Amino acid sequence: MITTTQLSKAYNAVQVLDIEHLDIPKGQSFGLVGNNGAGKTTYFSLLLDLIQPTTGRIENNGVLVHESEDWKPFTSAFIDESFLIGYLTAEEYFYFIGDLRGQSKADVDALLAQFEDFFHGEILNQKKYLRDLSKGNQKKAGIVAALIGNPEVIILDEPFANLDPTTQIRLKGIIKDLAQTKGITVLVSSHDLLHVTDVCERIVVLEKGKIVKDLETNEATLKELEAHFAGETAV
Amino acid sequence: MIKQFISLEWKQFKRSSYFQKGIAIKILLFLAVLYFGGCALILGIGLFFILKKALPEQDPITTVNNFLIFWFLLDLVIRFFMQQLPVMNVKPYMIIPIKRPVVINYLLGKTAIHFFNFLPLLMFAPFSVVLLVKGYPTLNVIAWFIAMMTITLVLNFTNFLINKSNIVFYSLVTVLGGLILLRMYNIFDATIYFGEAFNALYNQPYLVIIPLALLFVVYKLNFNYIKNGFYLDGAISQKVKEADGLELNFLNRFGKIAPFLKNDIKLIWRNVRPKQVMLMSFFFLFYGLVFFTQKIYMDKPAVLAFASMFITGGFLISFGQLVPSWDSEYYKMLMSQNIPYRQYLESKWYLMVFAVVISFILATPYLYFGIDIYLMILAGASFNIGLNSFITLLGGALNRVPVELNAKAKAFSNTNGFNPTQLLISLPKIFLPMVLFYIPYKLINFNAGLLVLGLSGIIGILFKNVIFNLIERIYQKGKYKTIAAFSEKK
Repeated sequence: MITTTQLSKAYNAVQVLDIEHLDIPKGQSFGLVGNNGAGKTTYFSLLLDLIQPTTGRIENNGVLVHESEDWKPFTSAFIDESFLIGYLTAEEYFYFIGDLRGQSKADVDALLAQFEDFFHGEILNQKKYLRDLSKGNQKKAGIVAALIGNPEVIILDEPFANLDPTTQIRLKGIIKDLAQTKGITVLVSSHDLLHVTDVCERIVVLEKGKIVKDLETNEATLKELEAHFAGETAV
Repeated sequence: MIKQFISLEWKQFKRSSYFQKGIAIKILLFLAVLYFGGCALILGIGLFFILKKALPEQDPITTVNNFLIFWFLLDLVIRFFMQQLPVMNVKPYMIIPIKRPVVINYLLGKTAIHFFNFLPLLMFAPFSVVLLVKGYPTLNVIAWFIAMMTITLVLNFTNFLINKSNIVFYSLVTVLGGLILLRMYNIFDATIYFGEAFNALYNQPYLVIIPLALLFVVYKLNFNYIKNGFYLDGAISQKVKEADGLELNFLNRFGKIAPFLKNDIKLIWRNVRPKQVMLMSFFFLFYGLVFFTQKIYMDKPAVLAFASMFITGGFLISFGQLVPSWDSEYYKMLMSQNIPYRQYLESKWYLMVFAVVISFILATPYLYFGIDIYLMILAGASFNIGLNSFITLLGGALNRVPVELNAKAKAFSNTNGFNPTQLLISLPKIFLPMVLFYIPYKLINFNAGLLVLGLSGIIGILFKNVIFNLIERIYQKGKYKTIAAFSEKK
């Protein structure tokens, strides 16, 4: 689904991302871990054509991301709060995104109904603008908005941060379901090793912009990741 | 402690975004401050002599006193729109070991050192000096001067109280509007009483105690308000407004651009900054009064063409120049969605055109100045719709300064969305209507000038698609730069 080739990004000759080759097949739940500054968000921004690559390219379902915009209809993302429109209520925001992605109000409502549990009664019918919601609730709204319009690729940057435990567990269920039963390619980054190993079939570790580990998730993965990051801090 | 506060303040000032800006902006800001300060100073010195000449039978101080109420009202209105409650940055001080009264006194005291308080000083001080030189009784003049400055400070603090709730503001506006109407229809003239009060203040110097007491009261009120609210969920927290159920379904007829139009209207309705811009643009409507009432401008039609363009172009210019900055807070999201720039821009364009049409309708009373003026406003509106709107959008493409939607623009400290490119792009807005009118006017006649100015807009609309393609390309080209600039921390 997503093929990354010779991709690099440099700011003033400082290399922040350098990926030789990375292939993410369709329907995979893909986890990206790494310490601050490892290049996770940079990679996601490149995937969304929010920044230009210094060299190389990303192909999303055969579409060259930095040349064509045809990847947009089947790709959605929630990177941070700047993806929300603060002066809208959650419903208005969902309908707006629905409008942009060719979904009727009824379509959006049907989708939202599936996430009643996830919202925990704190998102819909609140008479509150998104800017006045707590960070965790903003995140909930943003994540669900990324599911509107039947995307085939969903990119979530640190989706677990700021969420309460109940919601974290529910989110894990949602992400697993997306990849396993619906065949959606889900890209997730996280600092929480336990969560990613729980959710992702494959985990890639970035370090200073380079891929240092590429693991199929199994029982030993969490231990291996913990050892890796513990070792790194000891050095 | 105060020393540290002051050093913090100095850092805030020095490191604030507008000081990091280019030297050109600094000079411009400096000139603006100098200009307004200079105006006040000159007015302060000259006022006595002007009034003496204009109304020789009345003592200038009496005339001033009679009109003072309007000065103070204007002062209050400007403050309401421009001056923000200073308590918002109290958070970092909450858990450090300083006594609360110290922090509060400091915060409130700080507001006294504001440009809006210096402006009256620059005016009243020279006026008082002139009075003294002219041999008015020293005690009275000094007491009066103190009273004026005290009232200015009273307004300074009253504004913060008003700012807390819109109810206070709107009831104040209603009362004022009522008084103005009553005066207009000669039923009841409240200004006489205010005039008498101010004259009394001058004639009986000991009355200066009243404004001083008033100052004490409003200061105390502010103090208590902040003190009681010195908790995260108290006064220093930003008000959480309940969402309004704005549906705007009637806009659906605009088809593809409807979602954007609806959003833009909510943007204006629900955010402080764009609301401010909208109210400001309303004042542009009165721009013509400055020019059309003056004989000297009547035989300078090029200037009139400029004024006519301004009457209907207020919203277009002030809102349009900040496209796409209005959406800076969530620009990344928009750019990752499947939307053509075209629809996004077209929505803004429709909004501006709509505003021009409304302004034109509201400008109907200008018929009073004659059909020529009115036709000129019509031609100006046409220019605005067909050319100026595009120039403004084009300027926006070069403007990459993020805008904080829900913060008031502060006078002289707000350079949000203001840069040399912006200035450059505003030149054609000002000079194009003048040139378009003046050349055919000089070569042929007045009507030819009108016709060319009006036609320029119609031609612009005819080529709308071509122009939009061009604008779209420019926006597309600047996309990455714009995203990067908008994600920079303010």
